[in-house]
Amino acid sequence: MATTACFIIVSRNDIPIYEAEVGVAAKREDAAQLHQFILHAALDVVQDLAWTTSAMYLKSVDRFNELVVSVYVTAGHTRLMLLHDSRNDDGIKSFFQEVHELYIKTLLNPLYLPGSRITSSHFDTKVRALARKYL
Amino acid sequence: MDPARTPLGQMLLEEITPVVMVLSTPSVEETCLKNGFSFLQMLTPFCSFNNIDVPVRTASDQPYRIHKFKLRLFYGSNVRKPDLKVAEEQLMQVITESGEKVFSELCSDAPKINQEHASSEDRNTPSWFQFFNKELVRMASFSDHEAFDHPVACLLAVSSKDEHPVSRFIDLFNTNKLPSLLKDGAMDPKILKHYLLVHDNQDGSTDRASKILTEMRNTFGASDCVLLSINSSPDAPIKHQDNPWASQICDASPDQDLGCFLNIDDINEIKDLMQDLSSKHIIPNMEQKIRVLNQQVSATRKGFKNQIKNLWWRKGKEDGVDSLNGPMYNFNSIESQIRVLGDYAFMLRDYELALSNYRLISTDYKIDKAWKRYAGVQEMMGLTYFMLDQSRKEAEYCMENAFNTYLKLGFVGQQNATRCGLWWIEMLKARDLFKEAATVYFRICGEDILHSAVMLEQASYCYLLSKPSMSRKYGFHLVLSGEQYKKCDQIKHAIRTYRSALSVFRGTTWSYINDHVHFHIGQWYASLGMYDVAVKHMTEILACSHQSKTTQELFLGDFLQVVEKTGHTFEVTKLQLPVINISSLKVIFEDHRTFGSPSAVNTKEGLWHSLEEDMIPSFTAAKTNWLELQSKLISKKNTQSNVCVAGEAVKVNIEFINPLQITIPVSGVTLVCKYSTSTDELTSNANELSVKTDNEVDHFRDTSSHNSSFLVSEVDFSLGGGETTMVQLSVTPKEVGTLEILGVRWKLSGAIVGFHNFELSHPKKNIVKGRRKAKQSPNEKFKFMVIKSIPKIQGTIQSLPGKAYAGDLRQLMLELRNPSEFPVKNLKMKISHPRFLIVGNQENVKLEFPGCLTKKSDSVQSGAHANPNMMSETVFSFPADTSVQGETPLSWPLWFRAAVPGDISLYMSIYYEIEDISSVIRYRTLRLHYNVQVLPSLDVSFQISPSRLRIQDFLVRLDIVNKTSSESFQVYQLSSIGHHWEISLLQPPEAIFPSQTLMAGQAISCFFTLKNSRRLSTLEHNISTLPLGSDVLLVPQCSEDLVYNTNNVPLVNFHYFERLQQKVLHEDLGDLNTVDLVLISRPLNSSISPGLSDPPHVMSHHTCHLSTASTGPISWLVDGPQTLHHDFSASFCEINLKMHLYNSSDATAFVRIDTTDFDGSGGHMNSVNAIQSATPDNQAGWHDVTPVTEIKVTPNALEAQPGKVVLLESVSPYIWSGSSSTNIHLEPMSSAEIPLQICVFSPGTYDLSNYVLSWKLPSQVLGDSDETKQHSGKCQGYKYYLTVLQST
Repeated sequence: MATTACFIIVSRNDIPIYEAEVGVAAKREDAAQLHQFILHAALDVVQDLAWTTSAMYLKSVDRFNELVVSVYVTAGHTRLMLLHDSRNDDGIKSFFQEVHELYIKTLLNPLYLPGSRITSSHFDTKVRALARKYL
Repeated sequence: MDPARTPLGQMLLEEITPVVMVLSTPSVEETCLKNGFSFLQMLTPFCSFNNIDVPVRTASDQPYRIHKFKLRLFYGSNVRKPDLKVAEEQLMQVITESGEKVFSELCSDAPKINQEHASSEDRNTPSWFQFFNKELVRMASFSDHEAFDHPVACLLAVSSKDEHPVSRFIDLFNTNKLPSLLKDGAMDPKILKHYLLVHDNQDGSTDRASKILTEMRNTFGASDCVLLSINSSPDAPIKHQDNPWASQICDASPDQDLGCFLNIDDINEIKDLMQDLSSKHIIPNMEQKIRVLNQQVSATRKGFKNQIKNLWWRKGKEDGVDSLNGPMYNFNSIESQIRVLGDYAFMLRDYELALSNYRLISTDYKIDKAWKRYAGVQEMMGLTYFMLDQSRKEAEYCMENAFNTYLKLGFVGQQNATRCGLWWIEMLKARDLFKEAATVYFRICGEDILHSAVMLEQASYCYLLSKPSMSRKYGFHLVLSGEQYKKCDQIKHAIRTYRSALSVFRGTTWSYINDHVHFHIGQWYASLGMYDVAVKHMTEILACSHQSKTTQELFLGDFLQVVEKTGHTFEVTKLQLPVINISSLKVIFEDHRTFGSPSAVNTKEGLWHSLEEDMIPSFTAAKTNWLELQSKLISKKNTQSNVCVAGEAVKVNIEFINPLQITIPVSGVTLVCKYSTSTDELTSNANELSVKTDNEVDHFRDTSSHNSSFLVSEVDFSLGGGETTMVQLSVTPKEVGTLEILGVRWKLSGAIVGFHNFELSHPKKNIVKGRRKAKQSPNEKFKFMVIKSIPKIQGTIQSLPGKAYAGDLRQLMLELRNPSEFPVKNLKMKISHPRFLIVGNQENVKLEFPGCLTKKSDSVQSGAHANPNMMSETVFSFPADTSVQGETPLSWPLWFRAAVPGDISLYMSIYYEIEDISSVIRYRTLRLHYNVQVLPSLDVSFQISPSRLRIQDFLVRLDIVNKTSSESFQVYQLSSIGHHWEISLLQPPEAIFPSQTLMAGQAISCFFTLKNSRRLSTLEHNISTLPLGSDVLLVPQCSEDLVYNTNNVPLVNFHYFERLQQKVLHEDLGDLNTVDLVLISRPLNSSISPGLSDPPHVMSHHTCHLSTASTGPISWLVDGPQTLHHDFSASFCEINLKMHLYNSSDATAFVRIDTTDFDGSGGHMNSVNAIQSATPDNQAGWHDVTPVTEIKVTPNALEAQPGKVVLLESVSPYIWSGSSSTNIHLEPMSSAEIPLQICVFSPGTYDLSNYVLSWKLPSQVLGDSDETKQHSGKCQGYKYYLTVLQST
């Protein structure tokens, strides 16, 4: 399990629709905004990189000091971004795939407006469970 | 692109040039100081030659020409590593100054991102950035590991004033004073020397000078000695048009003219001197040195043999010195010489030669682990590649290699790493690789915070310049840089970077980022004392519901602190704390509608409308008659705006939400209103609207100075974490005019005032009112026409219980008050649920309850006659002389009865007219709304079945279940309502209720006989006017007086409404064979739970339309012996029976009785029965009543019949011996008798049920509408058992 990991889902309009700190490390007061900063800045890289490959999983796209940003881009250009300090590439890939599945299930909910914030607690628990499993 | 023209190329051409060490005597300096500068400064402008043409021949035989050249002059004392601390301080000062400058220029709001793009080119390189970078590069100069900073020549200057000038020259080049580079053998101390004799023309003629010169020439050689005479301008200072020194010495005081004593000749002389020095001495000298060195290098290192030898030799040396810098290299070591050769070639722009030498030496250094030198060589290789514009990859690789190697060295290599990085960045920039450049900037950031701040900022600009531009990275690095600036107290820079970053982050939903940026900008502005701007930024982050509690506290705390420091109450138009739920906004005002309670307000308007329909004069009528006056009074425009009455409050309900987890105190919540006296003002409404936007804020401000024409209420409350509070605000106009509600203002934590404008921000709202006033422009909803005060009645119902048990009967009092002095008239009232609430009589006020309900009180009886009228009218009009005015309230009795269990909303509307005709509003309605919760009490059900013994007699079974959980009731009385029913007990009451009470949950059944007494009173026709009933007291030892009179007010009224209500359930209304029963019970006082404040006294349970005639209008009874003795040996037995028939309908019925014998096959009977049972409407008749559970007429019981018949087949049959079919006409309400006879052949028990009775009513008698009522039918005979015994 990664000591620091911040998972975020960014809608196609660059709005974060889901955020979760899934690392085991104690949360620092400034961590949340630092993580957001890094992930937000990494969007610039993803923007270029997403169109150069047909794969959804872009591997690690950006780094800041020892923190690495891995990104998974869905067909609808929703970006699943993970900020992590571990080097578990396979685990991250599986994590992304499973979360993608969860996200699709959320999209199928007729009451969920695509691009709006995901508030489902069920989704949250599932994502955290996946994080424990894979990261 | 020519590499030399790129910024890096130019920088290299300027920075990597031959260094000339200047050594001068104090008197030389003194001479120069007359002009305001030092000797070196005097020469410097003439050290770069842009227009020379010097042929150069280095290692190769092919000469080439140099057109531009530059010398760098340094005092001997400065030819050493620069003092880091001094340099740092200087840099710090530069940055601080620029910070001040830029900050003051900073426009009030951050530039937009697209503007950023346009101006990014110049922004990218603000002058101080370049200066900063240059200084950083210089900090790494004069290192011993690279040769281009080593002086190639030495300029020795002695003044003609000096004594013993020749010896002075020798003194100057004293090894003790020489820089360490020359002393410790890092470089060759035998360098080119140039002797300069400086002569001040003001001191006298040049005679002495020329004398010294000749002496010098004799000593040092003719070519190396020069005389320079300056200060030729006699006295008058000369103003130079474009001062060559101006750009050099910026810190000179402006009043002093630089070079004021130098005339043109002097300047030309200096120029010639320098040109001579460079082209005739330095360049040839360097050429020569290159050639010599090249030969040496070729001799020792070139060729296969040398390479092998070198390798061997190096290997052997390997286990020797292993210091960080590798072995020390003397100037005459071959490695140093190769390096010098490379650097000289580089400076003379023979890059090929330089590169080959650098390559040669780099492997050596690498093997020697002389990392610093290795890195230096790699660096130079990179630069050489760049200048050759050959292999870009190689160049970058070399730079990266050098950079990484420097970094590995740690602190020693820090400056060099920075320099190398900067060059590398320039290299990348020259190739438009801005993104990569940015990453290098990021890597340069070392331990020095200030440096990294500047580097990060430069990195951010690189991101912006890269294509496609990476604005988010730009923002991020600006923030990083700002943080570093903050760490080294460059707050102004920090603010500047954050503000630039804000242009990227503005409008994003990345909450933490937004909060961070705004909060820090705010904090920093506050630390600079600019509280106003600080507050502006701080307000952005107040509604940070996503942050942790501590952060929220921090934000709010800091914010309040800043606000406090501003010293005045701050007013903000868009304060986000607390959040106003604008969709909850509801305006409540009373025009002709007035409300008795808040719950009445919340009731749908449509409900009131339907209730008031009958009372309020309709609008169609209004146009033609008395309301015309009204329509004149209110102009067309006025009708569109709402009307409110002076002195009556207009209320606004609004919801405040606290998004935080901490409690926030909110105080002084008031409405912001605008009042104007003239009602005509509405015509100039359009103009006003345009003006309004400008004045908007003023209106909000004005409120502090209280306007006398209206009063606003003020509310203080404290919102806990995550709480939502509905607040009711009100404004009370005091004068006639126009009142407009503009918005709401509140004070947060007593420090900051927030406004919320209702209209401008949210044009679409007020959903509550929207339905009613859909046509209005949104502004109109908050605009009220204030009319002069008119009376308003206040009404309450006294002692209406909130909770009651079903059946509870009470007397209530309606109290109406009119506080104004104007009388009202024509009062009317309507109640939504007359089943629950009916209007009583004025006389009832005096009566004692519940005693008035009993029969002994006569006074009530008199009122009974008025009832039918009252019941038919749904609107109750108060007597015409009723007037409500002044202190004394009007009390009017009401009767309440909790009819059915459940939550009941009772609506009442009271209509009244205002006597003052001139008023705009002619009438008003008072709307009252009450909620009553009715709990189930007694569940009463009746079952009526005809008696077998007597025709027109019925057996009534009463089932009572006490549904309450704790209450006990006394079942007091059962009354039948109706004109022709008599009810009596089968058993004495003691037998039924031994304890006289019905405990909670207890169920009980008792039986009554019901007798139709119509036959006895057939003469009485007018039955409806005088309903009579009969009552049975279920309580022993009770006097007749205490019997409750069910024909009295209000029981009879309630009964009427009950009947109406229950009618729906029963189709056969109008059937005379129905009975209504009223059960009256009383709670036992001892058992009343304390939960009910007001215990019930009397409870009535009404059950209506109980049908007695289950078989149709015809009832019959077979009369005959039950048991008979007959001697069958003698003959068969003939038995005579009688059938009594009674027609209970009001028409003549045609009745036929068909008797059917058993024909041996039971199948026939079966089929008949089957058909009959298939038509259940006609089913019934007599059947077993004894098993109580089967009393209910269910199809199952009927289905069982054929089976029984089949069963009886085994019994020997009998035959009908009389007529097989009898027809008679039966008059209405009359009875008849038909004789029947059967023959029995053997003893046994016989069921005499196989006959069919058909009846028919003439169809014309029936009402057309009453289609459901049957007018013909067929009934199977009921069971009648006859036992015939053999007589002995």
